[in-house]
Amino acid sequence: MTDRSKDLANIHQLQSENDALQKKVDDLTTENTNLQQEKYELSNLRKLYDLDATYSQYDKIGARIIAKDAGNWYHSFVIDKGTDEGISVDMNIIAGSGLVGRITSVGPDWAKVETIIADNSSVSGMVLSSSDNLIVTGDLTTYANGEITFSKLVDEADKVTIGDKVVTSNISDKYLPGILIGYINTLNSDSNNLTKSGLLTPAVDFEHLDEVLVILQKKQSVSASSGVSSESEAQNAGSADASDSSAQADSGRSSTNEN
Amino acid sequence: MRKFLVTFIMIITCFLLQTTLFRYIAFGGVVPNLLMILTASTGIMRGEKEGLVTGFICGLLIDIFFGSFLGFYALIYMYIGFIDGVFNKIFFPENIILPLGIILSSDFIYGFTCYVLLFLMRAKFDIGYYMLHVIIPEIVYTAVVSLILYPLILKINTRLDEIIQRSAKKFV
Repeated sequence: MTDRSKDLANIHQLQSENDALQKKVDDLTTENTNLQQEKYELSNLRKLYDLDATYSQYDKIGARIIAKDAGNWYHSFVIDKGTDEGISVDMNIIAGSGLVGRITSVGPDWAKVETIIADNSSVSGMVLSSSDNLIVTGDLTTYANGEITFSKLVDEADKVTIGDKVVTSNISDKYLPGILIGYINTLNSDSNNLTKSGLLTPAVDFEHLDEVLVILQKKQSVSASSGVSSESEAQNAGSADASDSSAQADSGRSSTNEN
Repeated sequence: MRKFLVTFIMIITCFLLQTTLFRYIAFGGVVPNLLMILTASTGIMRGEKEGLVTGFICGLLIDIFFGSFLGFYALIYMYIGFIDGVFNKIFFPENIILPLGIILSSDFIYGFTCYVLLFLMRAKFDIGYYMLHVIIPEIVYTAVVSLILYPLILKINTRLDEIIQRSAKKFV
């Protein structure tokens, strides 16, 4: 009889213990999932950090992609930072190991990014080994194979070879110099026998972009450096002022053009 | 007013789904055109004016967030919403073939117009490629999604009509 009652007491104890353990398992499973997610994020952020070190001469800010193009024709996306964080139009975006695109419009806490693989975008590039300039153009038809096109490469000495690095050129209007775009994949002579064109593989995996870095420095324009400094001041003052100063910068540019 | 509010909420929901969630379940980089389903079905169910306004708002949202110039998609969606509204005269809630056909042909017209205005104008003549890799996949995916989404929109719409009728009777 005493054995029986002891057993029953034991069962009660075991049941409560089992409940406690089950709860613990649930907690740990949740925690484990969270940790795994964080690990994935960590590896992504580490990659970005490496990239940050590569282009350490520029001030940068990290941002997340919150929406992608509604249609299927172009590749543009929206990030979760805007003028509140000092971002303005024409700032360059990098991720993975190279150039992603630039900002085309901006709001208080969002900004629209146009990528270099979009069918309507072109970037002035430069072959790193020979310093020859070329034009990199996004193309919907070749991007299915993970490639974009380049053209107008003047290479009379035949120095450029397959696998050469292509970076943004010094003469680009909107892009800072020396940012990696990709690697040359195929190389053909054009029918005019003066220039070459072909395909290059972008350095960034555009299919799996989650986090990007915005370079807070803009390419210097001809309208003198005073325009740039006044613009950065205006960004601190507020977005309304920023648009004012950019208008000034524009007018300054047009006046230099007239000269 | 209530109808407008509900439609507006549906537009925002579809826009958010299309640009965020559906990007992750895209097949071969192609997403279904939820906004086109919404525009076309609103046009068919309510008429020309409502289709036109819905299309305009849908297009304007895309223009604001992704377009390179304001008004391009707004105009295309608006015309399509208006044309679909013409079919309101032969619309019966029990018939699903007609609305589905109209949604699909709307999506085709949308895709084809985009090709002509955005690509053909820039001397990209390879229409077969764009058909096979962008327009047709989008239509197929949109068709599959509209099999689920269209009855839902229809249900919301009839339910809304009932509520409005009931409250109208109360005041009489």
